[in-house]
Amino acid sequence: MRVVVADDSMLLREGLARLLAEAGCEVVGKATNAVQLLDLVAQTLPDVAIVDIKMPPTHTDEGIAAARQIRRSHPGVGVLVLSQYLETEYAMRLFTEAPDRVGYLLKERLADIAVLMDALRRIDEGECVIDPTIVSRLVHRVKEPGPLDDLSAREREVLGLMAEGRSNRAISERLVVSPKTVEAHVRQILLKLGLEESPDDHRRVLAVLAHFRSLR
Amino acid sequence: MMTGLAVLVCGFATGVGTVVLVQNNPGDWVAGDSAGAVLAFLLAGWIAVTVGVVMSRRRPESNFGPLLVAAGFTWFIAAWNNPGAGSSVVFTIGLVFYAVGLPLVAHAALSYPGGRLGNRLELGALVVTYGGAVVLLGVGQALVFDPTEQGCGFCPDNLLSVASAPEVVASVNRAGMWIVLSGAVVLALLAGWRLISSTPAARRGKAPVLLPAIAFLGAGAASYGHSLSRGTLANDAFDRLMWQVQAAALALLALGVAFGWVRARRARSAVAELVVDLSESPPQGGLRDSLAGTLGDPGLVVGYPIGDGGHVDARGDPVELATSAGQATTAVLHADETIALLRHRADLLGDPRLVQEVVSAAGLAFQNERLQAVARAQLDEVRTSRTRLVAVSDGERRRLERDLHDGAQQSLIGLMLALRLMRSRIDPDGDLATAVAEAETEMRRAVDELRELASGIHPCVLSDLGLSAAIESLAEGATSRISLVRAPDVRLSPALETAAYLVVAEAAKVGTVTVNAVRTGGMLVVDIDGIGAPARLVDLQDRVGALDGTLTVEPAPGAGGVRIRAEIPCA
Repeated sequence: MRVVVADDSMLLREGLARLLAEAGCEVVGKATNAVQLLDLVAQTLPDVAIVDIKMPPTHTDEGIAAARQIRRSHPGVGVLVLSQYLETEYAMRLFTEAPDRVGYLLKERLADIAVLMDALRRIDEGECVIDPTIVSRLVHRVKEPGPLDDLSAREREVLGLMAEGRSNRAISERLVVSPKTVEAHVRQILLKLGLEESPDDHRRVLAVLAHFRSLR
Repeated sequence: MMTGLAVLVCGFATGVGTVVLVQNNPGDWVAGDSAGAVLAFLLAGWIAVTVGVVMSRRRPESNFGPLLVAAGFTWFIAAWNNPGAGSSVVFTIGLVFYAVGLPLVAHAALSYPGGRLGNRLELGALVVTYGGAVVLLGVGQALVFDPTEQGCGFCPDNLLSVASAPEVVASVNRAGMWIVLSGAVVLALLAGWRLISSTPAARRGKAPVLLPAIAFLGAGAASYGHSLSRGTLANDAFDRLMWQVQAAALALLALGVAFGWVRARRARSAVAELVVDLSESPPQGGLRDSLAGTLGDPGLVVGYPIGDGGHVDARGDPVELATSAGQATTAVLHADETIALLRHRADLLGDPRLVQEVVSAAGLAFQNERLQAVARAQLDEVRTSRTRLVAVSDGERRRLERDLHDGAQQSLIGLMLALRLMRSRIDPDGDLATAVAEAETEMRRAVDELRELASGIHPCVLSDLGLSAAIESLAEGATSRISLVRAPDVRLSPALETAAYLVVAEAAKVGTVTVNAVRTGGMLVVDIDGIGAPARLVDLQDRVGALDGTLTVEPAPGAGGVRIRAEIPCA
């Protein structure tokens, strides 16, 4: 897989590049800011761009803006935004415009190369990836009694994986059950939550996330 | 006191003496032998001297009083050049000074009330007119006038006479009359211009003096003009009429001055009423309004000194007291300390003593208002400094949060990567690999703790995305339920957002809360229905108070519940 890495911290940028190389990725470019990143992406057209959420000059949301720009200009290039912030709102801003081929991971996931590679592969395959910690925050949010309380433990597990952006196939592999069982769970969950079934996995993610965020 | 009385007695005596003197030869006197004219002659001079003496006492620094006294005396002396004068000294004095009354009256009127002339033009016109009256018509003529030689057998001796030259007398006379005539016209015009160009208040004060002066000068000029063809000043029917006008004008001028005193007294009694008003119901900021109304200066400014050399008004807001043209400041003193400064129209209080009376009469009210104004100014200062402190501390918290997230946390993650790379280079089953893996786990915990710490110091989502997003984020991570009914979509000031956020966050630490934040009528009203008051209530109240807001906790209708309400102005 061909990737570019954009991070203004040298330690992270170089460390990540070496880690990716060891894991078998081809790092075709490294950028220290958003402008460089956009040039690099246009030149190399990688499979995925890995982007730090905060970059010079203002260190606010350059990463998210650059990610959206890349998705608009190069639909074939996926973007994984790395963030030190455990904030759903940042992730939502990334997904609302283009919910496919994007991901939002917390930076400490980098040390777990398997998680990182899994995320890159899923993005490359057109899925959307949301950090499990964020999903867990949403699922475990203290809220008023509602439809979520009607879900069984297994269904909640499936819902969490759905919210992370995983496809039915990926969920079945993860839970080591048959795809048919997963499909049945998903139907049940959508029914209980009153959500439309969607043929499109990443649209389904948005619906699930929106449902979580509408809860009080 | 004694001098004034002596001058007064002397003036009366001079008048009476003059009348007695000219009775020897009333035919050559402009008043003639009419009893009414004699009375007018005496009254005009006496009033001028009396008012002049009183004015000298009231305004010792102004030379208006002495000038008016001098005008009164010369009014009498003008009759001394009468052939029936009897004494050669008196006759000679009369010869020299008979014409000087006109420039003296003009001089006095133009100097009213402060004693200073308005401009160099006035000074020049006066000097020329004085010259014409004294040097030409007076001394110049006297030097070459021998009464006996020129057919006045019964005239007393002219003590100044050095030669007898009737034709020189005629031409000096003519030149002098031309000069005094022109001078009188110019001075009358200057007096008129003075009236036109004055502010309304100043015009009211000066008109009673300047208008009679113009009449006096006009009548004088008419008389000189009438005499030009004749070559000498005389006393035909027209001259007598003009003289009567002058007598009336001189008396009116002096009475006009006295009228000024009455007006000042009236203003003082208005001030006294003002003081009664103020002591009965002192209105806020009303001292300025009341003074402005009483004194007729809408632009009046009252400033109270505060420690740093600045001044504040009654509300404690800074005021500028620098004067521009036509303005003056007056200090209100109390026990040698300036308790207030008034900036007013320079000519507002024609009589400077009136200012002092205003000031001493209203002293207590000033003192009162000053204490309140200074207290307000200090309160404002304390409030701004509290706001400043909160802003500084917010800024510090933001900076700290950013440093932790972008600095320490980044470094830790970088180290985690380094450890991960190291682990891939060593024997995966060795003890070292286990130790490194443990270190990685520890580091991940440290990253989590650091994130939580930074977020607790200042949630970056608050500064990035605003109150609503920050409360949502708080709700996702909280251990008790936080329901956000609504919050403004628009961004508010950082201090305001931080205050509202902290109130919600602290309230949520106690237990389940329902938050409803709305912007209404220039206020952000945050209602939080919870189960108890926040622990750091006083801190929160300080923070909200720093933004001029209020934070209240009241029992809510529900059992054991409370409603926490923060109301903060948002412009």
